[in-house]
Amino acid sequence: MNKHEKHSPRWITGFLAVVKYELLWNLRKKKFWGMVVVAFILSTLSLLLPIILSNMTGQPIKQNPDYVITLNPLGSLGFFLFAVVTVMNSISGEFESGTITLLLTKPISRTTIFLGKLAAAFITLLTTYIILFVYVAIGGIAIYGPQNNLHLLPISLLGSIVSTFVWIAIVLALGSLSKNSIIAAIGAFGIYLGASIGSGIISLFSEEVWILNYIPGSGATGYIKGLGSQTPFTPGMSISTGTDNIATLFTTYLLHPLANVTFYKINMISQVPNITELYSEPLSLVLLRTVSIAFFYIFIFLFIAWYAFKKAEVLD
Amino acid sequence: MSMETVIEINGLTKRYGSLVALNKLSLNVKHNTIHGFLGPNGAGKTTTIKILVGLLEPDEGIVKIFDREVHGDQPDIRLNMGYMPELPKFPKHLTAYELLDIYGRMYGMSIQERHERISELLELVGLKGREKDLIGKYSRGMLQRLGIAQALLNDPELVILDEPSQGLDPVGMVEIRDLIKRIWKEGMTVFLSSHLLFEVEQICSHVTIINRGVALISDTIQNISEKFSGISVLQVEIANLSDMIIENIRRLPFVSNIIQDGKVLNIELKTRDDVRPQISQEIIKSGGIIISMSLKGKSLEEIFMELVSKSHG
Repeated sequence: MNKHEKHSPRWITGFLAVVKYELLWNLRKKKFWGMVVVAFILSTLSLLLPIILSNMTGQPIKQNPDYVITLNPLGSLGFFLFAVVTVMNSISGEFESGTITLLLTKPISRTTIFLGKLAAAFITLLTTYIILFVYVAIGGIAIYGPQNNLHLLPISLLGSIVSTFVWIAIVLALGSLSKNSIIAAIGAFGIYLGASIGSGIISLFSEEVWILNYIPGSGATGYIKGLGSQTPFTPGMSISTGTDNIATLFTTYLLHPLANVTFYKINMISQVPNITELYSEPLSLVLLRTVSIAFFYIFIFLFIAWYAFKKAEVLD
Repeated sequence: MSMETVIEINGLTKRYGSLVALNKLSLNVKHNTIHGFLGPNGAGKTTTIKILVGLLEPDEGIVKIFDREVHGDQPDIRLNMGYMPELPKFPKHLTAYELLDIYGRMYGMSIQERHERISELLELVGLKGREKDLIGKYSRGMLQRLGIAQALLNDPELVILDEPSQGLDPVGMVEIRDLIKRIWKEGMTVFLSSHLLFEVEQICSHVTIINRGVALISDTIQNISEKFSGISVLQVEIANLSDMIIENIRRLPFVSNIIQDGKVLNIELKTRDDVRPQISQEIIKSGGIIISMSLKGKSLEEIFMELVSKSHG
């Protein structure tokens, strides 16, 4: 056999090599660990708050068996920030630093590199979220007593990962197109901020709240009558329909499969603020639509990111 | 294409907007040669190399490596190729060992193959003992050495080096040149770009000179030297030089003129054939003792300057 004769490595071998390459990068990023520390500090504060209040007021802490399942330790901003710190450098950072040159000249396809980087982002997030969710669950049990429906936590965790992946897809697409980490981060933040402000404006001034179901982020806010506390402005348990809220939609649906979500317009302009009912729809439909829209965004933005990466030329 | 040709480039054109970086460039690189790719800054050397390794797409022309046309993302072609870019950049958060190990996995090497090859290469490029340090702490020279190591990791048939001596101190430059000669002796084909003419002259058997995206000449260094040297002059230093020795040499049919400079004779030749044996024989027969003998021609630097000046019009 010719000394130089070689056989193509199995696809999985190249893929796993990229996953290791990317995981080592993710785990050695200062900004990633900074974000993890911030998430743990915020979760700890939210757990400690009732203890501090109890000490100040002398009132005992009320048992709350639904604390863990109703509290997502991350929330909309958490999903966005974890997406940014995990993948803002994945593709654009390689172009900026010039390290992409050697990676692209190894015998693995650009598609494999792209998929390996995505898999590493998934593993990084999954591990971080599991630790965070377990931490909050243990803290919740310690402070609020035995918890109901803990078996739904894995669903909540996966929903949170899907929500984060919407932002990951957006950040990757912007990074691949611009080959610039700052543009990717600022561009994604612009979309996040625009979607949040747009949601607020539409909720307050328009009756067309259904539009919010189709943009990434927190979406429209509806209410499930008969659940949660009722006030003149909150006629039931509030629930957001956006892609950031898949975890809550899922767990609420599993606990209340026949629930309906009703949407309202808050009339702030009249002398006496009031709410007007707009329309209702089953929670199952809201959930199905939100999950479909999340996957639609993930697919579209990942396709844009992959195509731009596949066609990118290394000039410098 | 001959099976002996490892790289074949035909009519290669690459434009960056209105700038024509490569203009119908053609060249061949033969198997187991050290082929120098010379040109001034901005001549198109790096653009050509980036097209060869799949980092850039050509606008026109055909590029073949190992008899396979290069277009788009072709991992299989890269399996038997090693590449070191000009001033290579590595992920700073990895150690040299981690990086080479990950790259080795990408080549499908087993854990034992990786371990053995990495140890061998670290020794070869002088990074043994520093492999556990983060690459971010490496000096320019160490990065260049790591660049060479990763290019040789898969024991490739073709090694493409873009300015391999860039950033190295004089000792490092000599070591890299020795290393290139060594891998060539092991059967590899080396295609290297450089603007260091003496480096190319010392280690390359073939050379292509490029300017403004056009190949000005592509041949063996010997053929280029002969083509551009004009009159061949053999310089001989003789210990006991006498008139009889000079007259006997002058009578040889291929000698056109002799200029004496002390004990040194500059013998102008009518032929480009290697006539050193006949002249040596004549000197010894006439009782002379040869101290040194060398064939004088134009240096690669002179030929390069002449070609580049002509191409500038």
